[in-house]
Amino acid sequence: MIVPAISFQHLRKAYRNLIALDDLCLDLQPGEFFGLLGPNGAGKTTSLHTIIGLVKPTAGRVLIKDLDAVRDYRQVHRLVGITFQEFVLDAQFLNVREILIYQAGYFGVSPKHAGSRADELLQQFALWDKRASRVQELSGGMKRRLMLAKALMHDPEILILDEPTAGADVELRHQIWEMLQDFHQQGKTILLTTHYLEEAERLCERVAILQKGRLLAVGSPKELARQRDQHRLEDVFLELIRSDKQ
Amino acid sequence: MIGFLTLLKREVMRFIKDALDTIAPPTVDVILYMLIFGLALGARLGEVQGVSYIQFMMPGLILMSIIRNSFYNPAYSLFQSRWDGNIADALSSPLSYTQMALAIILGGVARGLLVGVLVLIAALVLTNLPFAHPILVLVYGLSVSIAFAGLGCIVGLCAKNWEGINTVNVFLLDPLVLLGGVFYSLEMVRGIAVIESLTRLNPFTYIIGGFRGALLGTTEADAIIGLILALGLGVVLVMLSILLFRVGYHLKA
Repeated sequence: MIVPAISFQHLRKAYRNLIALDDLCLDLQPGEFFGLLGPNGAGKTTSLHTIIGLVKPTAGRVLIKDLDAVRDYRQVHRLVGITFQEFVLDAQFLNVREILIYQAGYFGVSPKHAGSRADELLQQFALWDKRASRVQELSGGMKRRLMLAKALMHDPEILILDEPTAGADVELRHQIWEMLQDFHQQGKTILLTTHYLEEAERLCERVAILQKGRLLAVGSPKELARQRDQHRLEDVFLELIRSDKQ
Repeated sequence: MIGFLTLLKREVMRFIKDALDTIAPPTVDVILYMLIFGLALGARLGEVQGVSYIQFMMPGLILMSIIRNSFYNPAYSLFQSRWDGNIADALSSPLSYTQMALAIILGGVARGLLVGVLVLIAALVLTNLPFAHPILVLVYGLSVSIAFAGLGCIVGLCAKNWEGINTVNVFLLDPLVLLGGVFYSLEMVRGIAVIESLTRLNPFTYIIGGFRGALLGTTEADAIIGLILALGLGVVLVMLSILLFRVGYHLKA
């Protein structure tokens, strides 16, 4: 039996007046490119944050390659690289290259290896010329690329991307898509959230649609469209969300 | 271990790279105290506990510098990382919660001791300090800096805004330190009921007095009682910091 790369098991997260996740059950296979879709407040980011321990589940659990995300958090974190929705960059006093080197250091990569890995990723992400710059000097697109490079510094098996192309222009979006497809071809498991349904349709092998913390549907974009007699994922999405509201 | 050392290096580089804002002002501040209170006014006060006034006040000023700077570094660093969101870098890494707390606390210890040593050097330029019990001086410096870096870590986690950190400084640290006999001995305030009572009740009186005893050889306060207080405070505050990290207080939803 193949151990899922990520397994959400009856995951529930409740805040005082809000249920952010309601009995979410979902398995992602190793090497899969998976999209988590849903309107704002559907529970996409909450799901991702439970994987790396930023959100404590009210009930249920998340397993990463059979490791419990809460109990075995140190081993789980080694396997996972994450980019957040916001620009989470240590801009207090570090330059671009140092941000990458410190990030690798937190994951136990030696300074020597971290330096060469940082240089490799700076070139790959077209940030080499900005290596000595401060974050404040970077454009939005550069920050997005830096966030992605940061997530890859310790060469994780699983990549978690929370709206990686939010705010990116068309050219940058295509660049990021190409990079993500490369990582996928290298065998990495990718879990992505996005509001751009054509992005999910283009990149993801399977998608899950969430609404108010509940899983409405899961399957490949083509499969979901065929089941509902639709042509595009966007139509499936709208149909599901509207019918759930009723 | 690389992860722990990386976070510790970050905490140290944070104040080293910004030394004009983090190291220079508190050092210059205390040197001004030395010049004004020690040299200008102190000459009129004569001897206190068998030493000149400038010698008497030096241990308190050194300890005050250690306390404030050990507190500031973790408090501001942690709060800013929470504010900017980049605390998630450490939280999503394989670092244990204990390692995170200790690295941040040790960063504070490093800043506290660095400013303490700079103030000590300035003190040695202005007056003679006998170092009656050098090992005790060192243990005092370390335990006090650990204790207040621990407090800084707790405040950095608990504060809801920048003012929260200043509130702790203005309403807790400054009164405790200044009413702990930095500038006066119990003998000097005998008969001034309010100050005498506050000073006697203040645990800092025994910590500062003990450090003074270790540095100058004066005996108004028992050096061991002060040391036990400082060590006890250090253990409690460090443990509490680790506990807050483990439960994810203000770190996790």
